[in-house]
Amino acid sequence: MEDYKSVIPMQEGKRHVIAAAWHITKALVASDHLTDDLRKILTDLDSHLSAMPAILESEGVDFAEFERQLKHAEEDIMSWETNQAMAWDSGTEEAPKYVKFIDEILTLIESLRSLSNEHGKAKELLHRADRVLQLAMSWLEEELVHLLVQNKQFFEPEYMSFRSCGADVTYDESFTSVEEDTEEAPKRNSTGSESEEYVVDLVHPHVIPRLKSIANVMFASNYGQEFCQAFINTRKEGLDEYLVILRMEKFSIEDILKMEWKNLNYEIKKWTWVMKIIVKVYLASEKRLCEQIFGDNGSVSTTCFTETSKASMAYLLNFGEAVAMGTPQPEKLFRLLDMYEVLDDLLMDVDALYSEESGSDFRIEFHELFSKLGDFIEATFAEFGNAIASSTSTSPFPGGGIHPLTRYVMNYIKTLTEYVDTLNMLFKDQNVEDSNSGFELENGQEIPMTYLLRSITSTLEANLINRSRLYKDVALQHVFLLNNFHYIVEKVKGSKLGQFFGDTWIRQHIAKVQQHATSYERATWSSALKLLINNGNSMSKTTFKERSRSFSIAFEEVYKNQTGWCISDPQLREDLQISTSQKVIHAYRTFIGRNSANDSDKHSKYPVEDLQNYLLDLLQGSPRTLQHTRRK
Amino acid sequence: MRATDNQGSFLNRISIRRNQVVSMDGNHEQELEDIELFQKHVSDRFSDLLSPSDDTSADALLSISWLRKLLDVFLCCEAEFKAIMIMGRDASLISKPPLDRLFHELLDRNVKTLDVCNAVHHGVDAVRHFQKLAEIVVSALEQRPIGEGQVRRAKRALNSLITAMALEDKDGTGNKSTERAWSFGRRGGSGAVNKDRNPGQFRAISWNMAKGWSASKQIQAMSSNLVAPRGGETLALPVYISSTVMVFVMWALVAAIPCQERSGLASHYSVPRQLSWAQPMVGLQEKIAEEWKKKEKKGCSGLLEEIQKMEKLVQSLSEFAESFQFPAEPERLEEVANQVAELAETCKRMEEGLFPLQQQLREVFHRVVRSRAEILEALEQGGKSSTPIM
Repeated sequence: MEDYKSVIPMQEGKRHVIAAAWHITKALVASDHLTDDLRKILTDLDSHLSAMPAILESEGVDFAEFERQLKHAEEDIMSWETNQAMAWDSGTEEAPKYVKFIDEILTLIESLRSLSNEHGKAKELLHRADRVLQLAMSWLEEELVHLLVQNKQFFEPEYMSFRSCGADVTYDESFTSVEEDTEEAPKRNSTGSESEEYVVDLVHPHVIPRLKSIANVMFASNYGQEFCQAFINTRKEGLDEYLVILRMEKFSIEDILKMEWKNLNYEIKKWTWVMKIIVKVYLASEKRLCEQIFGDNGSVSTTCFTETSKASMAYLLNFGEAVAMGTPQPEKLFRLLDMYEVLDDLLMDVDALYSEESGSDFRIEFHELFSKLGDFIEATFAEFGNAIASSTSTSPFPGGGIHPLTRYVMNYIKTLTEYVDTLNMLFKDQNVEDSNSGFELENGQEIPMTYLLRSITSTLEANLINRSRLYKDVALQHVFLLNNFHYIVEKVKGSKLGQFFGDTWIRQHIAKVQQHATSYERATWSSALKLLINNGNSMSKTTFKERSRSFSIAFEEVYKNQTGWCISDPQLREDLQISTSQKVIHAYRTFIGRNSANDSDKHSKYPVEDLQNYLLDLLQGSPRTLQHTRRK
Repeated sequence: MRATDNQGSFLNRISIRRNQVVSMDGNHEQELEDIELFQKHVSDRFSDLLSPSDDTSADALLSISWLRKLLDVFLCCEAEFKAIMIMGRDASLISKPPLDRLFHELLDRNVKTLDVCNAVHHGVDAVRHFQKLAEIVVSALEQRPIGEGQVRRAKRALNSLITAMALEDKDGTGNKSTERAWSFGRRGGSGAVNKDRNPGQFRAISWNMAKGWSASKQIQAMSSNLVAPRGGETLALPVYISSTVMVFVMWALVAAIPCQERSGLASHYSVPRQLSWAQPMVGLQEKIAEEWKKKEKKGCSGLLEEIQKMEKLVQSLSEFAESFQFPAEPERLEEVANQVAELAETCKRMEEGLFPLQQQLREVFHRVVRSRAEILEALEQGGKSSTPIM
């Protein structure tokens, strides 16, 4: 195809000259001052000139040129069909051949169109040229899809393999199998920094110029609609595929509402993970891809982006809606907080991605879901408090050890400290309402969080006190509270919780523990110790015998009961044993010593050393008895 | 207990039990009146849908604007139901048998409605996809002169459109295997033969509902436990009416818009004929079911008036394109020009109507979510305080 551009002015010019000559001739013929000869010549010329356009056409000189070029183009396009490599895969640097080709076809079509009203031949050629253009366009459309599919790239984050991480605090209602607290605080997926502003190439960069030129050419040829449809559908398929790679499954709302917590927990973790990758990385990159290809054609770029992403985004949104429709249950709180934090983090991105009018519904829906989740978290938190308050039992917890509820609540609130900023934000208003709730706050504490945590531990303490009343033995009541309160204090001291509860609280609670220890000792030993004391004087032999026997019985009783009880913390147990030992052994030794005249060795059943050893068996949680040692 | 508020009777103080009876009686009349009115409103609203008073073709049965009216009716009925049943009512009433069971069934229907809303919302996306392809047909055939280039361009879009419609009819999920086939065939020798197969536009929209989810099963499940209450159960009646409206509206939407798995839709559901307030609904249901049965045999992607019109035009234009030879006869061209103008008009109506329809579907979605929460709250409250609070 050579340039027809030079052909056209020549042809046009010729026609104009002929038309002008004809007009002049006509005017001359019509004038009155002509000789007959001259009039005859002019009349002949007039008829010649009037026939000229028809002659020009029938001569077909210029059309032959058009036709030659068209034929060439038709051959070209046929060769594309059969030999793909020729037009495309050879070299990427030079401007693709098709750009020039289409350019020429378009010029040809334009020329023919302007002639087609007067010339049947032009009409026919235009028809052929349109056909060539259509062939080229459908070819380009396939090329577009081919390029998009073959050069598709998926973002693989370092944390691509989804691990089911994130805090889990389990509470077994049966109270039987509660895992010992995992001391290393469960690390939350703090992927925030990793995916920040992470725009990647979703299509290999080396084909971007080609995609762009296809877009330009197709839009210039008025085939923009085809381009958009092919682009949107292929990219949408890419996004679907990516979600499959991320193992995002589709669930109906009914499925989600009926899902067991274990599975839903997993799906929510995946959702928060997927949301971050999709919004921060994938969609940000998709948007850039659209901008790269459509350049300054902003509205097309926006439409394509929105159309590509909306179905998947709608699904992700509906998943959130479905979760927020569920019943508030304490175990959900951490996942809800995760979702809330993810949305909090993503709202700005969503606003930016869908900043145009067409995306306004999306923006609003995301903001609404965000606030819905906030409300749901508040309800769930309240439910957590209710659950603690209403967790009651009719039988005492065996052995007086640390109740699973205590472990559960403390691990639960320990995990809550990971969400301190979010919780402070969410419960900002609630704190104002309850500011006169009697908690004195120390400087620098996070106000709402402190209030929340303390209200939970007060509820727990009240619950434990109620539970302690189930024990008939007062000493065991104190062992139970001692164990549990000590656990609470240790948990607070040994974690971030300390900074929310403050030193005053910790001191007060250590004092409470101490108080229960003292009360325990008193409840256990006071009556037995009374037997050993006799105002510093020696007693009569019968009294001594009587008291010694009573003491042995009392001691055996304590031994029988309290070897089965348990103080879980070894340090606490040791402290208590030392303290007991100091009081009991000291009194016993004095008792024996003072009454040595009464043949004490014979009448006292237990030597001091034995007694000391027996004391070490107490509160170990393995029931024993001293019965068999009586009177060998 | 709003009726008791103004009763200064000393009886109130003497006997709570007695007061209850008195107030119930006072309430009862009001209640009957409310329910009577509710029935009338439902009947009137559906009469309007059955035979629109202002006779414009734009509001034809199952057209986009008709569906939008239908959704308005749903929202109105829903609001009225809530006003009668939930607001100002002693919550303990609805949390006791037999109403509690009815309310739990209603909640279940609510959830299913949400999924149907989402499926239909998604189906509207499919219709928009049809629209975009039809617009290409219009662009191609609007050009003058019409030559082979234009016709081939139109044919390509028409084939994509026919395939897309057929896929939506088939299962609405998009057939993955057909979808994928092209990516292997394209550069191969045989792949190049079928030039009119258009990979980019071939597929139906795939990111859809959960696997195995079926619109017709949902409708069936929603209606299967729907039993008209016997005479004595006054308060059961509004629950029944509201549920009937809900199921009908969802059923009509599923029939109109491409949706995942709709086989046997017409046989799964019918409005009971003996109830006077349901007569207009019965009329509509019969008309739509008739249509559905007709279409189900030969396949259709939805009873939406605009889709049906599009299908007809596409069929005819496709025949034109298949048999086209240059130059076309002027009479035939004129006929095509008319059809293209009609198709353009249909596209315009879709362009104007589908987006608001989707917004309305979303409104229905959120309304149902809210209602569900309100009912749950009322049930919970009622459950807590089984003794009436004065």
